[in-house]
Amino acid sequence: MLELNDLSIVYPENHGPLTAVDHVSLRLERGGRLGIIGESGCGKSSLALSLMGLNRKARTHGTIVYQGVQLNGQSDKAFKAVRWKKIAMVFQNGSEVLNPVLNVFEQLDEVLKTHRRFSTKQRRELVLTWLERVGLDRNWAFEFPHRLSGGMRQRALLAMALCCEPELLILDEPTSSLDARSRSELMGLIDSIQADQGYSLILISHQLSVIEAMTTDLLTLYAGQMMEYGPTHTLLHHPMHPYTRGLINASPDYQIYKELWGMPGGNHETPASNGCPFAPRCVQKGPRCKNSRPQVQIITDGRSLACNKGGIEILLKGEHLHKSFALKKGTVQALCDVNVELKSGEILAVLGKTGSGKSTLAHVLSGLYPSDQGRLTFWEPGLDSLSATRKRDGLQIVFQDPYSSTSHRMTVLDTVKEPLDILGWGTSESRRDAALSALAQVELPNKPEFLEKHGHALSGGQRQRLSLARALTMKPRILIADEITSMLDPSSRANLLRTLMGLQNAQGFSMIFITHDLFLARKVADRVMVMDRGRCIEQGSSVRVFQNPFHPRTRELVDTMLGNVKNEPMLGMKQNVYNLLKPREAETFFQVNHNKEQRRTP
Amino acid sequence: MKKLGRLTEYVITVLIILSINFFLPRMMPGDPFLFLSGDQGEQISAYSDEQIRQYKACYGLDQPIFRSYLSYLADLFRGRLGQSLYFNESVGHIVLRRLPWTVFLVCGAILFSTVLGTALGSLSAFYRNRLLDNVLYGFMMFFSEIPAFLIGLFFLFVFAASLGLFPLSGALTSFSPDRSVVQVLKDIIHHAVLPVAALSLTRLGGMYLLVRNIMISIIPKAYMRTARAKGLSRYRIFIRHGLRNALLPLTTRIFMSLGTLVGGAVLVENVFAYPGLGLMISQAVMVHDYPLIQGIFLVITLLVLSANLMSEVLYRVLDPRVKDGEG
Ligand SMILES: Nc1ncnc2c1ncn2[C@@H]1O[C@H](COP(=O)(O)OP(=O)(O)OP(=O)(O)O)[C@@H](O)[C@H]1O
Ligand code: SF4
Ligand SMILES: [Mg+2]
Repeated sequence: MLELNDLSIVYPENHGPLTAVDHVSLRLERGGRLGIIGESGCGKSSLALSLMGLNRKARTHGTIVYQGVQLNGQSDKAFKAVRWKKIAMVFQNGSEVLNPVLNVFEQLDEVLKTHRRFSTKQRRELVLTWLERVGLDRNWAFEFPHRLSGGMRQRALLAMALCCEPELLILDEPTSSLDARSRSELMGLIDSIQADQGYSLILISHQLSVIEAMTTDLLTLYAGQMMEYGPTHTLLHHPMHPYTRGLINASPDYQIYKELWGMPGGNHETPASNGCPFAPRCVQKGPRCKNSRPQVQIITDGRSLACNKGGIEILLKGEHLHKSFALKKGTVQALCDVNVELKSGEILAVLGKTGSGKSTLAHVLSGLYPSDQGRLTFWEPGLDSLSATRKRDGLQIVFQDPYSSTSHRMTVLDTVKEPLDILGWGTSESRRDAALSALAQVELPNKPEFLEKHGHALSGGQRQRLSLARALTMKPRILIADEITSMLDPSSRANLLRTLMGLQNAQGFSMIFITHDLFLARKVADRVMVMDRGRCIEQGSSVRVFQNPFHPRTRELVDTMLGNVKNEPMLGMKQNVYNLLKPREAETFFQVNHNKEQRRTP
Repeated sequence: MKKLGRLTEYVITVLIILSINFFLPRMMPGDPFLFLSGDQGEQISAYSDEQIRQYKACYGLDQPIFRSYLSYLADLFRGRLGQSLYFNESVGHIVLRRLPWTVFLVCGAILFSTVLGTALGSLSAFYRNRLLDNVLYGFMMFFSEIPAFLIGLFFLFVFAASLGLFPLSGALTSFSPDRSVVQVLKDIIHHAVLPVAALSLTRLGGMYLLVRNIMISIIPKAYMRTARAKGLSRYRIFIRHGLRNALLPLTTRIFMSLGTLVGGAVLVENVFAYPGLGLMISQAVMVHDYPLIQGIFLVITLLVLSANLMSEVLYRVLDPRVKDGEG
């Protein structure tokens, strides 16, 4: 029904043309529902306005075809034929979207007067009915717009758009000034009227939950360019573009547990005209991204993507990993057929009770233990885990026990730059600088007195930060953090985690975060993997796993650790475990601990 | 609260004007009675002592200044502006007789300059930076620089003297009682065409610019975009949405510019010998009829002032937002 071919919209600004929409092509079928998301200023409204020919100053390139007729052409004529008769719009709320000197009734009445043949009386009834239908009391009809609240104005705008029964309804943030309840009410209304009138829908919103509820297809725009397009549900739950994922991660209705982090950088740091516009902020940009603009490619049926690297990269992939340890009597299967995958910029939390094989997995992934069976591949073909840990921009692991991972006898400075020293990277000057900046990143002092301190003179928290700084000097692409907070008091733990998360967000490295603390995992992880007795029993997005665990044992874990604690928030976590475990489970709990002790011995 | 404040301001302004009007002649050098019949330089009193005493009593000059001020105010409130020395008639009567012509002239000029200025200004705004706008703009700039009396003289020469299309002077052909009302009206309009046109033309440039600027600021407004989106007719968009919003700043500015318009009217009346207050003023000045000059000035200032007051009232009526802003 609606077709955009290579549509570009350029505003001739004083300081050079501003391309608000850049080569966008898409189709919308009759009755289709398209969502458009993107950061502020990415061109959503410009795109919407252009569909009705309302960008006065802008130049439009490409074509807008509606029902076989090209709308944008030499004159306004084709647009005039569709405005409000066929395409209506709920404008992004602003104080002057409605005319300040005409009352609400007059402004609705005049569209009916222009487009429909009704008597004055009929029109009056119709206007009032529509206002009531969108939840605005009749009494407000004869008030001037400035007397209405933002939400009321949005309702009036909606009534105005609906009253001529359009074929295509464009909604530009129709719910931004409504509370949650009115929002769902209004969305329900738009939904039910759609069932009635069968209009197609284009919905622009920052509220992803609204987008998911209302649309079937989704377009993400960045700097006016199409980044990703596909079925809404798939796109929101399995984004392939780093930008789409960034939007989701910053959205409170999707990241209900994880701390919210916006994408660093912003407001379009003048993207190179010939490269990927998102490159300055992309966590996985490659050398190509700066100079070659990614083409929109169809990935699968109905899904397309513009990324030189084919979307979010998989940095690490372990398939069918096995690892067993020989005991004095028999063996213990620490890893049994584990499949694991880590995407760029992602935080994967590995959960599980003590002894379930989490640390073994970490060791295998970082090449400290060879795996018995299975395949481990990295982002570069031919890279193995050992060489990955021995290069900058590679893989680093930080251990649970800072006392063993950092030497007592080395000074702080030496400890931090040791990995670089071993590599022989750069000059000793630059190594020192790298070490100092890593120390600053983890918020440790870099005064000479501190740099000369020896490991044994540091507190646990400081040592943990030190080991983190040591890993960060290598500018890792993947950081494996194995229970790094378990030895810290709550306050230092919180501080360390915030530091780590901030660094992750700013530098965009991927992280495997191993913990048995479900609360922490929930705050940190994008994805969760649950281990039990050496097997991975569940993997999925953090929200899904915590809200709706599939595996009975995950459910048990979640229920016992999170579900019940809600009622007794005063109890410490550990105590809860003891209190709440059934006797048999407590037994296994100790058994596993025991096993772990045994495993350590060889 | 605020309204009251504005009103007091006006009352104070009026009082100040009245006082200036009272004190000004008293501060002039020399004795006004010497000037009554004397030309510049020669100060010959044409009045006998008896007469002067009489006049002094009439103007309260024989009383302490404060008391005479009070009686001046009291007279004013009774509508007494004093006695013209030259015409030997009450100033109030003279003003009342002349005022309608001036008002007629000014109103006609407002009407024409507003209608034409609005039309041209809006046209220019809609075709901004295109040929039509550029031509109009240049044209208007040129005209707004020419003083009213020059335009008046030009009209007089071309349309009245050379072409003989319009009468050379006056507002009415001499009285002939047997004419019908329609004929009289026709005659009045016939006389008024040139003065009104001249006066309008001097206002036109300002109006045009004003409307053009207002419209240019209104066109990009979101509600204008909404109006276009709604597929309304051009006419409706322009009148109901554009002009309706322009009306606010426009009316206030029209009322505020009344002062200059009256000034223009004085000149134009003199050029066309149009029997309004403006012509009267120059006559009064010529014969040194101070009471008359004072009276006319007072009436004109009060008129302009009340026009200003009206513009504020209108603003409140026209803009729904102002009412609420005052809470
Ligand atoms: N009328 C205009 N003239 C010039 N530039 C404009 C105009 N309208 C929008 N722009 C520019 O075009 C770009 C896209 O703006 P647009 O309004 O389409 O963003 P948006 O995606 O709707 O943002 P938001 O989510 O904040 O509504 C911005 O850089 C903006 O500054
Ligand atoms: S990988 Fe390259 S092309 Fe893909 S989003 Fe990042 S910068 Fe753009
Ligand atoms: Mg917008």
